Amino acid sequence: MAAILTEYLDSFVRSCDDKKLIAIPLAVLVLSLLVSGFVFATTGAPVKLGMEFEGGTMIAFETQESAEALELAYSAHSLVDVRKTGDRAILQFGPMDSESQSELEKAITSKYSSVEIKQIGALYGKELQTQALMALCISFIGMALVVFLIFRTAVPSLAVVLSAFSDIAIAIGFMNLVGIELSLGTVAALLMIIGYSVDSDILLTTRVLKRRGSPDENIGRAMHTGITMTTTTLAALVVMYIVSTFSYLVTSSVSQINLLSDIAIVLIFGLVADLMNTWLLNTGILRWHVRRSTPRRRRA
Amino acid sequence: MREEEVPKGLKNDMRVWLLIAAVVLSVVMIGPGYSSEEGLNTDLNYGLDLEGGSWIQIKLQGAVTQLDADISMLVTEMVESAIDAPVEIISVTGDTGEGYSNDGNTVTFTTSTYVSGLQMDLLGLGESDISYSGDTSSIVLSTNKQTLIMQYLSQALNTEVVPLFVGDGVEYEIRTAVSLEELQVLMVPVGGNVLTGSDGAAIFREGVRTETRDMTRDILSEKLNSLGLKDIPVRTVGEEYILIDFAGTDLTTAKEIVEKPGKFEIRMQTTGNESVHVLYGDSIEKVGIVTQVDGSWNTPFTLDEDGAFALQKIAIETGAIADPNSHLLYMYLDDNEVYGAPLSYSAASALNEHPIYSWQASTGAEEDGKTQAEQLQIHLRAGALPVNVVLMGSGQVDAALGAQFKRQVVLVGLFSLLAVAAVVFRRYRKKEILLPMVGTSLCEVIMILGFAGAVNWQLDLPAIAGIIAVIGTGIDHLVIITDEVLYEGKLPSTKVYMERISKAFAIIFAAAATTTIAMSPLVVMGFGALRGFAITTIIGVLIGVLIARPVYGKVIKVVLDRAE
Repeated sequence: MAAILTEYLDSFVRSCDDKKLIAIPLAVLVLSLLVSGFVFATTGAPVKLGMEFEGGTMIAFETQESAEALELAYSAHSLVDVRKTGDRAILQFGPMDSESQSELEKAITSKYSSVEIKQIGALYGKELQTQALMALCISFIGMALVVFLIFRTAVPSLAVVLSAFSDIAIAIGFMNLVGIELSLGTVAALLMIIGYSVDSDILLTTRVLKRRGSPDENIGRAMHTGITMTTTTLAALVVMYIVSTFSYLVTSSVSQINLLSDIAIVLIFGLVADLMNTWLLNTGILRWHVRRSTPRRRRA
Repeated sequence: MREEEVPKGLKNDMRVWLLIAAVVLSVVMIGPGYSSEEGLNTDLNYGLDLEGGSWIQIKLQGAVTQLDADISMLVTEMVESAIDAPVEIISVTGDTGEGYSNDGNTVTFTTSTYVSGLQMDLLGLGESDISYSGDTSSIVLSTNKQTLIMQYLSQALNTEVVPLFVGDGVEYEIRTAVSLEELQVLMVPVGGNVLTGSDGAAIFREGVRTETRDMTRDILSEKLNSLGLKDIPVRTVGEEYILIDFAGTDLTTAKEIVEKPGKFEIRMQTTGNESVHVLYGDSIEKVGIVTQVDGSWNTPFTLDEDGAFALQKIAIETGAIADPNSHLLYMYLDDNEVYGAPLSYSAASALNEHPIYSWQASTGAEEDGKTQAEQLQIHLRAGALPVNVVLMGSGQVDAALGAQFKRQVVLVGLFSLLAVAAVVFRRYRKKEILLPMVGTSLCEVIMILGFAGAVNWQLDLPAIAGIIAVIGTGIDHLVIITDEVLYEGKLPSTKVYMERISKAFAIIFAAAATTTIAMSPLVVMGFGALRGFAITTIIGVLIGVLIARPVYGKVIKVVLDRAE
């Protein structure tokens, strides 16, 4: 699959002019920003905040009862959502005082097995929001600094930073479309996208700027390596996603591992976006830059 | 002199030996073993989410601020509310300026109702002399501004307020949640305000002093220890958070342990090993800060009315006031003796006359005495925390679920590696490349686990996710090396090969640097909830770049040379 993709992409990049290469990913970026902007305008956050950021209680346990029965049984406790995957029920509760919280926990732990509880105070959630935002900013700025230090030229560095930004923006846009909430896991994944996305961009930029040969040849070779890299990572992530999310289909008592599942799916979005951003957006900008600065090589 | 480098065998390469040594050491650190009862086991520590247990996160509420107020208004406000009659201030002597003075102030005031000495003592404002003429009581109160402000605030907010001298001012630690606005409103009736610093901003910050935070942590630790829960870590996070991990305990029990105070009791020796009950911990109103008086360390504490009278009564009944040395005073926490000493002669004779509210438990001189005094300070509180706390977050994963997560993550890791191997094989179609690649990746995982074992660090779900992420970036880097080496499809001469390897490593180092930088905010974010993820990723990338991946570059050349 990787080989076919590389061949197709390579000939596409060779046949398209730079403007068209850049236009496609930019259009996707603008779309994602619009989606997130719309969510921001309606909810006050660029992506739906999960329980860890909003505050509340999540209780998961093993049971044969149906979601409806559970909903009825716990409707007295500010129940927000009931989900069932296999034999596991996941109940989400809004904020409640510590006494009714303790009562609820006691009732559930004494009745069911394999109980998982997570409770986050509203205040703590607020603090986490600021911290997550800070983490993303610091991480991004740090990455940008390293990139500028490595290449020491404005246009190629900016191209790398722009495609990393676009990777994150598109991943967030996807989260909004598919309905994935922001959790600690997804924040980790967004930071990881910064790390992963720059790998292939650095490879591309180094090959094009520091190698002899025509830009198209260098791009083609870099693409060969880069797409192998991204597909191996994608393979690992897809497996991680499937095992952590769908194991219950094999053995119904097995629980989902939400943290791993969240990290995997957001990274998958990010890496797919990265394929596009590295090999169209970054490549387009870089090729334009190289041809502009070495006019000898301009196509006849 | 330039010499064509002779292709060295792997046996002579330092880096290869370094890798082998690191892997062997890691395996020792992981300590795999097999027993028929437990099956496969290791020395690795797992986090609560894999081992089962619960965690509690609390926030210490409080504020530290500097204040000023008018002495006569403070006295009027507090005395009037205590005696329910108007007060007329006659004079205030001493320094009434903004700072503090050691000399203190003397406040003289009158009121048209009867005021008893006990009433004034209970207010805790200072020594007072009362004279009566007709219906009028005139009171001469020796006090100082910080005591007045402290008492005023602690009554108004119903909490402990601790003044501390800093530089040329007094800092007040208020041990409950209070906002700057609330405090400013509160200071208006006593003609006071929150002081402002040289930059014009109010001197006020939320939270408590580091010492108070540490004392809260120590009290919690002590309490858990006394319940036989020895290995429960109580950690402070930032200035105002405390995190407790209860391995193997469910959340309900954990909350009870944190909330339930211990049982503190004072008893007095009658004869020999016999003793009688004097009072319980609920009679202790306040525990002061450890002080040194005449070289000996003391823990001051204050009894309430019932406690003070009970102690006086028992001291008289047992005969301790006449012969303190054969009727020792004992303190017990959860039925363990924590202190035993005779009454001082001055206290014994004073008890003959009246009950004593303020006591000092003396623990002796030197460092040892200080440590004991600090211990006693914790014990006297009987596990009650010095500061108001709120539950910020909590969680539980029960042991069966943790075990299931553990099995599942092993599957995730194994299948991910297989999937990666399949993609790599499809691309290169050579087992000479596949085996070293997967082998290098495995070595990296072993070294990360070995590192975790060596520093005794808990592997939790985020940490496992980090390891999988490292497998991902690791293979990426090995692909870069491979493609660089096989540039144009065939193995180059050694000289060209060396150049290419260094080019590949330029890219890899750059990529590793960005990953490390990108992950570092997570080390501190979310009170460390994702620290495991960040640290495994960073350590994994470093181990990979510095130890494992260079060896791959050597091995792949030798293996491909041989295959050709």
